[in-house]
Amino acid sequence: MNPNKNKLWQSIAMALAITACFSSCKKDYVYEVTDVKVTQPGGEKTNVKTTTEFISIVYSDLFNTNVPTDTLLYVQQAYDAFGDKKLIEDRIVRHFLNSPAVQIPSDATMRANIPLFVDETIEKFFNRKPDAFENYFISDIIGSNTAITAIMVYYACMTSNEYRYY
Amino acid sequence: MRRREFIKKAGLATAGAFAAPYILPSGRLFAASGIRKVNHVVFCMFAGGVRNFESVDKSLGNLMPHMLLGSETIAPDIAAAIAASQPPAFNLGYNLQTKGTLFKDFRYAKGPTGHFNGHTTAITGAYTTADLNIKDHPHTPTIFELYRKHNSPAQTPRKCWWISNALGPYPALNFSSYAGYGAQFGANFIAPTFMFSNQGYDSIGSLKTFTSAEEAAVNNMRTFMNHNFNKNFVDGDAGVTNTETDAAELQTWINSMFSQYQSGTFNNPWGPGAYNNDMMNIFFAEKVIDQFQPELLVVNMQDVDVAHFNFTNYAVNLNKADLAVAQLWNKIQTTPGMMDDTVMIIAPEHGRNEIGNSSIDANGRAALDHTAALDEVTGDQMAREIFCQVLGPSSVVQQGQVITGVTGESIDIASSIANLLGFDMQMPSGLLRDFNNTGIQQAFL
Repeated sequence: MNPNKNKLWQSIAMALAITACFSSCKKDYVYEVTDVKVTQPGGEKTNVKTTTEFISIVYSDLFNTNVPTDTLLYVQQAYDAFGDKKLIEDRIVRHFLNSPAVQIPSDATMRANIPLFVDETIEKFFNRKPDAFENYFISDIIGSNTAITAIMVYYACMTSNEYRYY
Repeated sequence: MRRREFIKKAGLATAGAFAAPYILPSGRLFAASGIRKVNHVVFCMFAGGVRNFESVDKSLGNLMPHMLLGSETIAPDIAAAIAASQPPAFNLGYNLQTKGTLFKDFRYAKGPTGHFNGHTTAITGAYTTADLNIKDHPHTPTIFELYRKHNSPAQTPRKCWWISNALGPYPALNFSSYAGYGAQFGANFIAPTFMFSNQGYDSIGSLKTFTSAEEAAVNNMRTFMNHNFNKNFVDGDAGVTNTETDAAELQTWINSMFSQYQSGTFNNPWGPGAYNNDMMNIFFAEKVIDQFQPELLVVNMQDVDVAHFNFTNYAVNLNKADLAVAQLWNKIQTTPGMMDDTVMIIAPEHGRNEIGNSSIDANGRAALDHTAALDEVTGDQMAREIFCQVLGPSSVVQQGQVITGVTGESIDIASSIANLLGFDMQMPSGLLRDFNNTGIQQAFL
């Protein structure tokens, strides 16, 4: 066999091998995202507040101080004296909201920075930060209706289902 | 008409006559399976523990002149105490005994002779012989749940009330923990003397008000929050839940009651006199009747229980309870929709001992406990002896009848309520004693 011809075949084989090698190293891209577990806001709350807890928390949330013992006793009696608890809780909240001593941000403060007010209000009543959608939705309701007051937002939170749980 | 067509039409007409709802004289429709005798039942628990000696046997004279015929002279020391207690004057114009049937020897036959046991037995139609947790709802369905679940057409709690003179365990009697029943079929409960008080007003009487537009905006936010949360605070933990419409009516009524309380309208509601807790509880039951005309109302009194410490005051409160019953009956008979269409059943939850305790009052009379032995045989069993009075229209209740032999039991009362309101045949068997096997049926035509 002609040695030059042999070298030629060797060169061709090597070139093919290198080409094959490079072609097999072509990268396949796979796009993925990190797993995220989706939960409802406040979904971990499973316990219903007792009557005493509910009254005490309503009072301290609205007056920024502990409920006096005699007030707790009398409100508890009124609570026990009617069978529809949602109805009577509505009255307790509205009774306290009607007090001149209640401590609620002014409407001007609320409207100066609505998302911040929503953030702080949800955290105050539900012991958690609102998610982005909650903040957007509630802020939008407040922003689009100038008749909404801070008291109304407080009232809505305190008579919601989540406020009854911890 | 051809023969075949005639038979077909006649057959359909006959079937329709059986299947169609009955129309009562009141004009109300009811399912064919439940025929009512009346449209309203009021059960007045003449409770606190009343002994037949002082009530129907009149051993101290007739202490219950509105409920019992007879002019037996009241013992001088008791008569003086009654006069000093300043009962408001009232003349019903007739004696209640003429308006129905009096069982002079009724029985609270089984279970501990305790107030809560007695109340539970009367409201559930089942003796509490096994156990009773005063922090729990009853373990068998209450008459309220049976009514709301099996009555046709179904009613909301607006038509079904439990009015108690006390708190403690009594609020729990408006529904049971029995599977398939519970709060969703419970009664509206109210302890009015606690609610409509200065403390009650200071707790829930002065409300922040919102316009309807503001309410709508609050509802919008609250609805969003509730949708965003995976639990619902409803029946059970939240007690009995009224419909939105009924709740609005209740709120307005409560506001009106507070307003009247504040303005002094409730001072001396039946005229000048001294009012005890029993009388005020019955008075507030009248306000419930005014507003809601309940189909089923249970109201109690318990001031006679002062007998543990003072016999004379027991007799005085027995006399005032008699007056309260007469006022209640008068209210029923002057309320459109309820007059002549209501049966009222009156019975203590249990009696009292034959032998007095060591507390002697100023008149030298021994106080009385209620501690019948559980074996129902040994010792002082007088606390199981009670009376029962059934009042109602002459077309339904035997008028002027007195049954003196041992007849009827506490558990018969729930059975008779179910029968009167026409839902006894719709209930699962075994929950209540069969009305046809009760002693109390002798009161009815």
